[in-house]
Amino acid sequence: MDVLNVEYMLGLVPVLLRYLPLTLQLAGIGMVLALILACLFAVIRVLRIPVLNQLTIVFISFFRGTPLLVQLFLFYYGLPQLVSALTVIDGITATTMGLTMHFSAYMAESIRAAIVGVDRSQTEAALSIGMTNGQMMRRIVLPQATRVALPTLMNYFIDMIKATSLAFTLGVTELMGATQKEASGSFLYFEAFIVAAIMYWIVVELLSKLQNHLEIRLNKAYNR
Amino acid sequence: MKTLLINTLLMIAMLTSAPLLAQDGPLRVGMSGQYFPFTFVEQDELKGFDVDVMNAIGEEMGRDIKYETANFSGLFGMLESGRIDTVANQITITEERQKAYIFSEPYVYDGAQVVTKKGNTDVEGVEDLKGKTVAVNLGSNFEALLRELPYADQIEIKTYDSNLERDTALGRVDAFVMDRVSASQIIKEKPLPLELAGPTFSQITNAYPFRDNEAGRAMRDEVNKALAALRDDGTLASISEKWFGTDITQP
Repeated sequence: MDVLNVEYMLGLVPVLLRYLPLTLQLAGIGMVLALILACLFAVIRVLRIPVLNQLTIVFISFFRGTPLLVQLFLFYYGLPQLVSALTVIDGITATTMGLTMHFSAYMAESIRAAIVGVDRSQTEAALSIGMTNGQMMRRIVLPQATRVALPTLMNYFIDMIKATSLAFTLGVTELMGATQKEASGSFLYFEAFIVAAIMYWIVVELLSKLQNHLEIRLNKAYNR
Repeated sequence: MKTLLINTLLMIAMLTSAPLLAQDGPLRVGMSGQYFPFTFVEQDELKGFDVDVMNAIGEEMGRDIKYETANFSGLFGMLESGRIDTVANQITITEERQKAYIFSEPYVYDGAQVVTKKGNTDVEGVEDLKGKTVAVNLGSNFEALLRELPYADQIEIKTYDSNLERDTALGRVDAFVMDRVSASQIIKEKPLPLELAGPTFSQITNAYPFRDNEAGRAMRDEVNKALAALRDDGTLASISEKWFGTDITQP
């Protein structure tokens, strides 16, 4: 094997760092939107709201049942073929849409599981003192479900950060796209991709730290 | 009701703004940024023969060039969906592509070349590819060229988005097929143990594809005019000399 070109790797760090914000933006916005959507879906499923419940089931089934890359291609290349004005969907938007819908489908199920997992006595107690369904959800069920759902949701967020690396196929030069281009200019694949790998790794590590903090906070009420 | 109104307004805004975007403004050019030395990136800077030629064309037309980079396999999708106006990635004119797009005048004349790992004596030309595994770029015309060979059914073709040079050097495939000038340049300048195997086996000509509609035809004519001017004043030849040490812009 050739000797590792450390100088090249160090030179690449500031270049690739410029593309990290876009990676984080894609995952960050995707996560916020996916969370909102997933909470909606979960509540619809738990309360079995007619019609919406069935639609949600189909939505979740489709977006969990097809690869993210296929969905991205559908949004980016497919839709404009049907309606040419949809060309206004640029790569960044298509990626954000794809990440949002794909991950909301997964997250909806884990949030639903967390809600269902809240002990029946809790909901009965809430209703017995005259809370409405909405109040019960907001004040009693969701806070408890959040604590249960947090670790899996963090897992999805981490997964989403890494999934942004598909965006270059839609012409979005994020961290992975920038790395691929640099690597094919220099032919130093190992050096380029190891730098990118370390960057992803550091970001995910920082998030895991954040998760620990959140878990400690949410567990406060349970520590005796 | 409110959302319906907003949606309708949005749709109208989209429908009216799309044609506007297509006309004036910069020429939007797609490339992979992953095809040394035609288009590649060094320290965040997009470079290569195709970049230099396109910049010269832009200057000649008095129009800005906006580069969009994406994996090669996505470029024609972007052209088809109107996100870019043309592709500058050493695109070869083929019958298939001519059915879907209109092409500018050719600006590169080249041949298809078999490349193997250095020291591979099994493959010394295209006729030796029988029973071998051969790498080509996904969506490139080299795959079609291989399939036209009389013994095509005995060749295992592997398609790549990028990095096929490395996989050949690693011995994962027996050879790859690419245009001669890129292959020679890679062998000369990059640290990979590769060599040309035999002479070129098919003539290829590269040009810029455009969508076959009014705007596309207008852009093609504009680009053709600029290309002719650059050919006459020697700019094309000098760009070619800079990258390849030879003039590949003449038949």
